[in-house]
This record gives sequence, structure tokens and C-alpha cells, in this order.
Amino acid sequence: MAKERSFTEKEGYFGDFGGRYSPEILTEALIELEDTYNKLRKDKKFQKDLEFYRRNYIGRPSPLTYAEKLTKAWGGAKIWLKREDLNHTGAHKINNTIGQALIAKAMGKRRIIAETGAGQHGVATATVGALFEFETAIFMGEEDLRRQKLNAIRMQMLGAKVIGVSSGTATLKDATSEAMRDWALNVSNTHYIVGSVIGPHPFPTIVRDFQKVVGDESKKQFKKENDKLPDAVVACVGGGSNAMGMYYAFLNDKKVKLYGVEAGGRGSSPGEHSATMLFGKTGFLHGTKTLVIQDDGGQVVPAHSVSAGLDYPGVGPEHAHLHSSGRVKYETVSDQGALDAFMEVCRIEGIIPALETAHAFRFAKDLAKELGKKKDILICLSGRGDKDVAEVARLVGLSQGDLI
Amino acid sequence: MSAIKSVFSDSKSAFIPYISLGDPNYDLCVDWADALIRGGADILELGIPFSDPVADGPVIQKAFKRALANPFSMDTILETTEKIHSLHPHIPLVYLTYFNPIFHYGFEKFAEKAKIAGIQGMIIPDLPYDTPETDELFKSLKRRGVDLIHLVTPATPLNRMKGIRDFASGFIYYVTSYGVTGERKSISADLEDRIKTTKEVFSLPVSAGFGISAPDQAKEISQYADGIIIGSAVQRIIEENGSNPSLCRKKLEEYAQSISGSLRGKNL
Repeated sequence: MAKERSFTEKEGYFGDFGGRYSPEILTEALIELEDTYNKLRKDKKFQKDLEFYRRNYIGRPSPLTYAEKLTKAWGGAKIWLKREDLNHTGAHKINNTIGQALIAKAMGKRRIIAETGAGQHGVATATVGALFEFETAIFMGEEDLRRQKLNAIRMQMLGAKVIGVSSGTATLKDATSEAMRDWALNVSNTHYIVGSVIGPHPFPTIVRDFQKVVGDESKKQFKKENDKLPDAVVACVGGGSNAMGMYYAFLNDKKVKLYGVEAGGRGSSPGEHSATMLFGKTGFLHGTKTLVIQDDGGQVVPAHSVSAGLDYPGVGPEHAHLHSSGRVKYETVSDQGALDAFMEVCRIEGIIPALETAHAFRFAKDLAKELGKKKDILICLSGRGDKDVAEVARLVGLSQGDLI
Repeated sequence: MSAIKSVFSDSKSAFIPYISLGDPNYDLCVDWADALIRGGADILELGIPFSDPVADGPVIQKAFKRALANPFSMDTILETTEKIHSLHPHIPLVYLTYFNPIFHYGFEKFAEKAKIAGIQGMIIPDLPYDTPETDELFKSLKRRGVDLIHLVTPATPLNRMKGIRDFASGFIYYVTSYGVTGERKSISADLEDRIKTTKEVFSLPVSAGFGISAPDQAKEISQYADGIIIGSAVQRIIEENGSNPSLCRKKLEEYAQSISGSLRGKNL
């Protein structure tokens, strides 16, 4: 495993990125979390509990589906889907919240909080809040509450308090800031379940570790089915947790090309996209050193994406490292491209994907043609798109009449 | 003796108010600084606005939002600082800023220009002492005689205080309560003991901030703290009166007088 080291963290850093740049009031909680996690990751009972909930509650392993009709329609490489949409709660997010809830329990915390953009992490947190009897609060931007009403209702039904955030751009970035403020106030009894591979150390490592089950299973399933590895792996990237979970198993398989797809939004001007790898510069946001979309004065520029889950002006520090080392190639797909792919996948394959994942599909469509028929592309289907149907219907102009 | 240290050589607790630069614009905040100093500020904290101030509560968040409605550049920040400094060259000025704008501008350039503008100290809430950047920045500031002022909180254990000690100068900013900046009615019971311990560990003056707003709170804490830092209560006066500059000036000066007058000799 020595080779893996160049891609793994050293004291919370991934190359030049990562670290712990959070207010002093949170530092002890982060150290406590790091110490607890370092003990638990080697603890057999913890691993057994995690495995139990993965199998019996989340429904893992999630299937690997050969998308025969998409393959035919796109006329190129074979398309394979890792079905995180079939997890309980409908996305990969539950992999992480189950794990962090078990850590919170071990630390004796009674309350959990989370930030959420598209609401999938909020739902997954509210779910473990109900399951393990935590008092739960979810911070969500007002704009995202509008876009993702269904998920906000689900969270409340699960017993969580949903707190609308109206500061800043009223999206994920501001919900994250607000969750950090709440944590600073209630740090003695509260665990903050960070939802992506972002935030101060040890969060990027912890979230990656709980999500790497996606890549580990995929690798095993793909090998069993095809007696080889896929030629390319594609995942969407906002903060980057589904992508990081998927890539991790393949980092040392140099023949497997890894692609991350960010939100190109509606243009290349600041505020029109969430394409951190393309437009971001090294900076410090939400406790970590990473690539950040910022202006000439070092102020963070609001991000935009049709998909609330990708609408974040930063990216996980490990992704920033994988970008700078060249191991992963990061591309962009526009809002329109994602909407087109969303409709295409619905109609051709009978799967309603999350709008986030639709970005990955749109990129994979071109890649399939480029690679040709003898190759295989594995796409991480990070979540299902039930949450997006009303917003997509509005954007593509489907009226109630059309739907009936 | 540095300008900051000389403030604390007095037996009376220092009054350290805070304003966000650029709120509501870069000309008027010079007036606010002038009013606070005339009202009795001993050190003035100048906030450099940042888009994502995770350690600040709603009052300062709103102040930054108003400030960032003006075009932001570090050069404007430095020019404004210089104007305030030239009005009252004997009052030490301290920046309170998040790390990203400084990093983006460049450490060395920033340290050099801040010193020229009249800055005597820096407080950076999202730059813990145990990062490579603190090491670099500390050395850069030290060469120029600018203090790096660290925050110590109710959650900071003794071993961490000892780590911070190697990088701290000027004074220690003791955070009186959990959470973010903002006015609070009650002050934690063990504050006096915590401040006493902090003084012993650092052998530096300790100023208390976060949650202090009223003269009677300031008076009580001044019995054991070397300085009282007030941000949100000052910023609220600007929020409520900023559109009427002469009234705002008057209120800031009166508020500064009321706090400064309430501070008294320390018993420790």
C-alpha cells in the first residue's frame, strides 16, 4: 500500500491543501473528533456496527447496472452505473451520516447539526437523527429551501428542525457558515456532521473514508462482471464526496482515467458557475485550504448551478490535490447540458437521476463517443432526482397539463 | 516599549472598540474611528470585511455585507487605515481580519504596507497557531515590530495555550463565551479564573471580548481584564445611525465615553 501514500493525507494535508483553519473555539472539538475517529477506525465493534447499518439499513451493496439503452443511444463505450440512488434516503449521503452518527454516539453528543444544499445530506442527517435519537438541526439556504421543498418537508417529518439561512447568497456556502456558527456556540453537546469532503481536518478524511465504500464495491462488482477494471470513471463534483468515495479505490490504478464534472452553470463570468477547478485559486474557506472561486480582493464569489448540490464556490482539499497532481481531470457541464442529460436518462434508461449526477451523464455522453465501443465507463449515479422534478419541470417548461 | 504594550502599562483597563472598515463607506468609517478615539478608545480594532465571516454573529455579518457593497480592495483598506492613523498617530491600530484576503494579497506585501499604514497588531480568527502559515506570518510581522494577537477561548486547554505562547505578542484576546461575536446579557461564571490563568501562561496583557456591550459589564470585567473589546455593540450604533453621519458620530463618541468612563483600576 506504500504507493497510496502520495494521495493520502499527512497530518490533515493533501499535498498543499487541507489543514485546520477554523476558529479557536472549535479546535478542541476537532481534536476530540480526530482522536475518537482514529480509535474507532481500528475498533472492531465500530466496524461491525458500520457494516450492520450499511447492509441492513442503507441497503448496501448498491447494485452496478449495465445501462444497455444509454450505451446504444450514445453509440460508444459501454455505460455502467453505480446505483447510489438505490440507497435508503436516495443518495450516497447516507453512507457518511451513518458513520458520523456512530462517532457522535461514541463521543456522547446528544445533538447533531448539518448544512445542506440540495437537501440530500439534510435528509440523510435527519434520518440518522431519528434512528439514533439525536436532537437534529439542519441549516439550509432560503434559495435552496425554495428549490428543494420536498427534501425540507422530509427533514421535518423525520423530526429535524430546518433552519432557513438568509445571509449572503442564501445557498450552501451560507448554510455552511451558519452551521459552523451554531457549532461554535454548542460545541460541548453537538456534533457537526459535515456533508462533503470539505471543512477543517479531520472532516475531509472522515467523509472520504465513509464514502470509499462506493469505489470499493464498484471495483469488486466491475471486476466480477467484466474481469477487468473500467477504462474511465466519471462523477459529479460539488464539494466532492461521491466523487472522492468513487475515485479512492482507483487512485493507484493508473490505467483507469478519472473524471470529475463540475457545474459550468450559465456562463464563465463570476457568479455564473461553480467551476472551482477551472476558475478557483488557492484560498481558505470554511476551515480548509483549497481552491476557492474568489475575486481580486480575496472575497469569495457566490457560485451558481441549476443543481443546488453543486452550488458551492470551493471544493474538497483532496480534490484540489488530485487536480494539481493531474491524477483526476476536472471538466464542466452547463446548466442546459445537465437538464438535457436529465431528460435523456429519464426517457432512455428509465432512471430519474439527481440534477447533480446529470452533469456527469452529459460529460460521459461525449466521452463514450471519444473512447469508442471497446471501452467501459463507470458513472457514479450519486442520487435520485425525485427532489429535482418540480424544478426541472419549471425549467424545461413542462406544465401540469403536459404532465397529465 | 511597543505602542500596544504602553497602553497596558496604565493601571486602568484599556477600551478597545471595533469597527468594520468600509461600513457604510470608506470615508465615513474614518469619522467613526475619530469619534471612538475622541470618546476614549485606547486601541482601535479595524475589521477588514470578508464575504464569509464564520466567527462573527449577525451584526458584524451585516456590517461586512454593507462594506462589501463598496468596491473592495486591500489598497483601499490600507489607505483608509493610513487616514485614521494620521488623525491620531498615538492610538495603536489593530486589524481583525480573516485570513483569505491577506493570503491573496501576499504576506510580505501586506505586512509591509500594514506597518506603513500605522498597524501595530493583527488578529486573525481563522488562522490557528499550529499552521505553516502562522509560522511564516509571525516571522514576517515580528521583523516589522507588528504584534500577532491570538485568541484564547473557554475551550482552549492549557497545553494549547502553551503552544500559542510561542507565536503571541501584544496582548491576548480572551473570548469570553462560546459561539460567535454578538452582544450577550450574561458572562460566564469562571471568567475571572480563566483570565487569571491566561495571564499567568502568557505573561501578556489579556483583553476580554465577545458578548460585552454594556458599561456595567465592562466595569465588572475590567476588574480583572487588562482590556475590554467591544465590536457588535459599536457596530450596531453604526447600523442604526449610519445614514445620519453627524448623529452617528455623536452616538459613537458618547458610547465610547460611557464605556471608557466605566473602566477602572484592576484588583489583580
